[in-house]
Amino acid sequence: MAASVKTLALRTLCASTRNIQHVSRGRVKHSCCPAWVTVRRGYSDGTEGKNTHFGFETVPEEEKAERVYKVFESVAEKYDVMNDAMSLGIHRLWKDTLLHVMNPQPGLRLLDTAGGTGDISFRFLEYTRSMHERQQRQKARSSQTPSWRDIADNYASNQTDLPQSRAVVCDINKEMLKVGKQRAEKAGISTGLSWVVGDAEELPFDDDQFDIYTIAFGIRNVTHIEQALQEAVRVLKPGGRFLCLEFSKVSNPVLARLYDAYSFQMIPVLGEVIAGDWKSYQYLVESIRKFPDQETFKEMIEDAGLFCVKYFNLTGGVVSIHSGFKL
Amino acid sequence: MSQHVLRRLITGVFNVQRSETYRSALRVGSCVKINKRCRSDEVKGSESCQEFDVSILEFLVCPLSKKQLRYDENSNELINEEFGIAYPIIDGIPNMIPQDARMIQKTETSKNPSES
Repeated sequence: MAASVKTLALRTLCASTRNIQHVSRGRVKHSCCPAWVTVRRGYSDGTEGKNTHFGFETVPEEEKAERVYKVFESVAEKYDVMNDAMSLGIHRLWKDTLLHVMNPQPGLRLLDTAGGTGDISFRFLEYTRSMHERQQRQKARSSQTPSWRDIADNYASNQTDLPQSRAVVCDINKEMLKVGKQRAEKAGISTGLSWVVGDAEELPFDDDQFDIYTIAFGIRNVTHIEQALQEAVRVLKPGGRFLCLEFSKVSNPVLARLYDAYSFQMIPVLGEVIAGDWKSYQYLVESIRKFPDQETFKEMIEDAGLFCVKYFNLTGGVVSIHSGFKL
Repeated sequence: MSQHVLRRLITGVFNVQRSETYRSALRVGSCVKINKRCRSDEVKGSESCQEFDVSILEFLVCPLSKKQLRYDENSNELINEEFGIAYPIIDGIPNMIPQDARMIQKTETSKNPSES
């Protein structure tokens, strides 16, 4: 009860101050558009008046991307710390589960969209590396009394196999990637990891390039989810897998009440105390409520052209993994 | 003795000031800025700044035209010849957002195309 009153008050406060900014910013943007550019994005004329949600607010579509950018720019430094604090470390288990569902074999290429600080990519490389080692050990065990020649051949093949697993982290926000790159340097992960600043709705990659496409806790921040899904289908190889880890609807009503109370009362407070940013974390919990539920999202993925779409609920539906294949 | 110490102190201060003015002059061009970091980060070696991994050019394309890009080492940019736009590479991370790309004009001036 208290949560809903608080959010209502916040909403009215914010709406009154932000409306003025919407109008002025909108006018400036339209005036500086060269002609050749509008040909490419012809549909934008039709959607100029369209609105979308930014948390519980309604904002013009053009604005959402900018505002999401600002949110993540301000939280980038403390992003990992906040994740641990908000989820009490459970986000690590969710991401580990994603990797287990993915079960990647060594030698695959991963596109980690909205990868930010690179959590999924690090886990992917770690997983494929340990799997590769395990396979080598099994091979060594199964071959009985290998000759010195066999052992020498094994050493030669080791060097060529290992660097093949490749992870590309793509995010629209430079600050998040910078933090991720520093983490990679500290952890000593250098081979097989690339960083690219790019838009999930307009990926800078060629068709049929990636074996696995993941988007973890990022798709709810995208303005046009259908477009991001279509881009995912485009860059996946035939037989490639799409995986999405995202907050979703909790089915159990008791758990739902507890979760709501925790989200709206604890998380913005934690955001203020640890990261010094109440509004960004208010946006984050509101955007979770605005995201479609498991079944609706499954239908959206099927509409984009993926097959065998399944979802797995984690922690009672707080988080769910959607998986689909490009066939 | 104290005079000698004082003289060393003063020349040291001047040396610092001189190197700082030298560095601020270098800060003019963005590509030159990356080179400056190379010189100062001698511990990591020059590899840490020109770290751009050319192997991603295998599948990295222009987000607008989906055509291959050319890596220009001098200006540290990825160039799409067809549209005449250049995507900057900052800290080894290519920035493939069209709004942040630079138009390569036939005249000397460059402006940012904005797309919405």
